[in-house]
Parts: sequence; C-alpha cells; structure tokens
Amino acid sequence: MSPSVLICDDSNMARKQVLRSLPEQWKDNVQTATNGAEALTILRNNEIEILFLDLTMPGIDGIGVLQGIKKLNITCNVFVISADIQPEMQAKVKALGAKEFIRKPVKQDVLFNNLQQHNLL
Amino acid sequence: MNEFHLTEDQQDCLQELINIAMGQASDQLARYLNTFVYLKVPSIESVDAKNLMETLSQQKNTLAVISQGFFGYEGIRGEALLVYQEEDSGRIADLLGYEPDELSQDEQLIDISSILTTTFLNVFARQIDNQMSYNAPKLLPNVKDKLSEHLQQMPFSWDLALKVNINYQVTDYSFNCNMVLLIPETAIINIKNVLDRILAEF
Repeated sequence: MSPSVLICDDSNMARKQVLRSLPEQWKDNVQTATNGAEALTILRNNEIEILFLDLTMPGIDGIGVLQGIKKLNITCNVFVISADIQPEMQAKVKALGAKEFIRKPVKQDVLFNNLQQHNLL
Repeated sequence: MNEFHLTEDQQDCLQELINIAMGQASDQLARYLNTFVYLKVPSIESVDAKNLMETLSQQKNTLAVISQGFFGYEGIRGEALLVYQEEDSGRIADLLGYEPDELSQDEQLIDISSILTTTFLNVFARQIDNQMSYNAPKLLPNVKDKLSEHLQQMPFSWDLALKVNINYQVTDYSFNCNMVLLIPETAIINIKNVLDRILAEF
C-alpha cells in the first residue's frame, strides 16, 4: 500500500525534485500544493499520511502550516524540506511537530533514510 | 527587450537555486552574528545596464556600496554589489555589538558583505557545477557621486544586472540590502543553458 502524500512548495522545480525522489510505487498517490493555505485545505479534506513541507513561502508559510496542523488536530507525518538551514529553525520546526528537517536540494538517499527512521519505508 | 528574458520554468528554476544559496548565506550570517536571521522569499529582477543607475538612484539615502568581483569557469564572471541604506547603518552596528573603537563601520559592512556574497555565490556556483574565486571586497567611497563612474570602470563589459532584493530580520533589528550581480552576456547565456540542462532532467 502506498501512503497518501502531499508536497507543498511554492517552487514547481522543488516540488518535482521531491516527487522524483519518492519511491516509484508512491508516485500515483501524490497531491501538490503551491502555498500554505492550499496545503491546509487539502489536509482538512483528505487523509494525508506524509507531508513534505517547504518553509519559505509567500502567504501562509511552513511554520503557519505546522501551527495549523496542531490547531486542527490533524494527524500527519511532516518532513520539512527547506533551504533555511539555521539550527534554530530546525529546532523550531521539530518543536512544532515535524518529524525531520531535510535540507534543500533534496537527495533521494537522504529522503529514504529519513523515511526509514520513522518506519514509513 | 531584455536579454535575460526567462521562460516561466527558467525563472522558477533560477529562483529555487537562489533560495538555496540565500538560505546558506543567511545561515552563515546567523552564525557570524550569533543570532537568528528571519528570511523572506527574495525577489529577483533583471535590470539592463542602461536602467541600473536609475534603479539604484531611486533608492534614497544609499549609505554604502561594497563591490566584489567573482570568477568561475565557462565565462561566468561578474561583480557583486551589496547596497545598504543609510538608516540601517546604526542597526547593523548594534547588531554586530561592535564598540565604536573596535572596528569602523566600514569594516563591519565589508565583513557582512563578504560573508553574504561569497556564501551566496559559492552555493549558487556549486548548483550549476561551477566554482568561484573572488577579488577582495572593497567599499566604494562617496557612492552618491562615484557609483556610475565605478560601474563604467568594470574590467569587463557587463550587459545585465541581476538584482536580488534581500531582507534580513534579526530578532529586534531588521535591515535591508540589495545584492546586485553585474554579469556579462557570455555568463548570461551560460546560465540560461545550465537552467535548461537542469530543467531537462525533470
């Protein structure tokens, strides 16, 4: 069974980078969002198992999405994939419930390792 | 007609390469300042040589311009300008926690600029399979009068400026600066080819 996946990033290229790094059998069950508001709408109306989330986005950013997930009591494994690699930011997203912080540009082996650590692969 | 006219995909690809470079530059700045830097999405615009002076002179109270040359392979070279506003000078000094006699304001700006420029360009270059070396950064004196002179005295002829608007917010402080990359036409063509190569992988 492939899990339901949501990729949220304002960059089309970044979304494609995540998509092509996913296990082949997962790729049919992937939705995408281009901003935080879109992501929260999808999360509210669908059961999403895994969210790959960018931080720096116009409007509702990644932090806003993490706060929204908490507030709405949504159960979801969130992996933040961001260029904002400051240690304080990494700690902040984990405190807000993200499973892991993955630095951009995402690499498949790193993504797989992170998924394996949480028994999602 | 702009020589750097990009397709939507090329623009998106370039923006993402710049986001990654900015993220690492901010991380370096945060480590240097021992604080957290709040990062916004940087906006990019290209300005042709004719309009650059006009664009820069529209900014009021330009305090300082720090200029640093960079060189890579395959004709990728240019000059990076970091442009600061006057009202930010006190904030930058506060931020650095420098005592007035420790380092002059000029040296503080040169320090910050060099961190931002070299980290940004190193990361950018690595993503396009290139590698940069640098000249020493220099502060342009009397920028109000001398900027156009300096822009005309570049050791290469540049055809386009890529202007990256950076806004850093550091806890209680915030300062803005513009990073302007002056690049010659050969470098522009090369960058476009690299963008296409990256896009073709998808």
